[in-house]
Amino acid sequence: MKQKLPLLIVLVLGIFFTIQFFVPSRASEVTYQTTLQWWLVMSSFAMVLALGSLINHHALKIKRRKEGWWNSWVTLAGIAVMGGLGILGGPSFRMGWANDAYTRLFLFVQAPMDSAMFAILAFYMASASYRAFRARSREATVLLVSGFVVMLGIIPFGAMLWHRIPDIAEWVMMVPNMASKRGILFGIGLGATATALKIILGIERSWLGGGGK
Amino acid sequence: MKFFEKLSQIDRRWIFLLVALAVIVPLLSRMGLPDKPGKYSLQLFEAVERIQPNSQPVLISADYSPSMMPELDPMFRAMVRHCLARKVRLIVMTLDPTGAGLAEDALRQIAPEYGAAYGRDYVFLGYKVGAAIVIMSIGENIRQAYPTDAYGTPIDSLPMMADVRNYADIPLVVDIAGSAVINSWVIFAGARYKARVGAGCTAVSSADYYPFLQSGQMVGLLNGMKGASDYEYLNQQRGYTSVPRVAGKGMDAVSIVHLLIMGFIVLGNIGYFVAKKNAQPK
Repeated sequence: MKQKLPLLIVLVLGIFFTIQFFVPSRASEVTYQTTLQWWLVMSSFAMVLALGSLINHHALKIKRRKEGWWNSWVTLAGIAVMGGLGILGGPSFRMGWANDAYTRLFLFVQAPMDSAMFAILAFYMASASYRAFRARSREATVLLVSGFVVMLGIIPFGAMLWHRIPDIAEWVMMVPNMASKRGILFGIGLGATATALKIILGIERSWLGGGGK
Repeated sequence: MKFFEKLSQIDRRWIFLLVALAVIVPLLSRMGLPDKPGKYSLQLFEAVERIQPNSQPVLISADYSPSMMPELDPMFRAMVRHCLARKVRLIVMTLDPTGAGLAEDALRQIAPEYGAAYGRDYVFLGYKVGAAIVIMSIGENIRQAYPTDAYGTPIDSLPMMADVRNYADIPLVVDIAGSAVINSWVIFAGARYKARVGAGCTAVSSADYYPFLQSGQMVGLLNGMKGASDYEYLNQQRGYTSVPRVAGKGMDAVSIVHLLIMGFIVLGNIGYFVAKKNAQPK
């Protein structure tokens, strides 16, 4: 029963909403709108579940004194401070000082830290492209040349060198790039449809947990 | 020959130092490299230009986090300036929890520049969890996803929202995102609810969205720092703002770093081929 009930719900709702999409009636529309509201509520619960799981994970790490356990204190403190200030400064309590503190912490602590983490990538990318971007084969040479053209086409120096470089860069993006992207998109679309069908029909059960057993 | 071989073995600390200089020097200097707006930046700009002032609002979803700020925040700010300068009403929302703080900060700074009044010229709906579900809900009724704005004010009490029910009342939806959520906007808002969708994305993800441009499912695309710089340039060219171009300056740094990386790749390849030639038996 523990497995059959979720499978039955997925089967019934999966078939129902597939048909609903093609039925332009008032009852069908109302059902769709109502379920959209349910989904919004369920999404919020998913957020609560994720938060609970995160807190649980770090609490266990601290309790068992796992490697780097003290970092978990920073995470938990961050959740408590930002969460607390966010709630107190939000529409429910409207405490100005809390909203101000939340905004300052976000703009002057969280945002620069997040940006700095991402900015480090530029250094690694430069180093990695120097070491790995080699014309070792015909395919690698094609990749190298097209990468060069696109990089040059984006920056003003490209047009300064030759006015047609931006056009060639756009051609690379709009023709060979798009041909491959379309192929990938078709593959994803067909794969998603096949997976959805397998889930609706109960063939694919790994989402139930237990590795599909 | 050893010189050429050494070219492919430069210590990465030198590379890091040169990258740092290539970023810092253009940002501190006044290079002001010329800008020629790209086709898709121009298309998005023109899509906003075609909207009548004080009519139906544009919806901008600021779906980006601080890590994508250098590319996407100037894009968002340039679009907000364009809309407010032309008296095009603006609905701002976000599907990224950290996007709310960034979007709110931008609105707080830009609205006074144009004397824009909250509720009359723009509204900020804030963050809502659910991504695709939120996009679909707006297609039915925006009040279903956002019964109140970010400050708890009921949407019905905001004057500019009186005639806004769903995408049919929104002539243009623009998603500025650093994630694949742009796909959801194209698929659900665009394909299912027939909304006109434009987007702004990071340069690394732009290749993913070219198929939507060709198929007409997207009215325009701002591609990374270049797209942001293009939009700032167009805003200044049409006299909508005179504030310094943040992305324009960023584009100077990006240009120098691109050249530097290309130089490194060339050096690395010279070293590689010389080493390969030397390794061959004579």
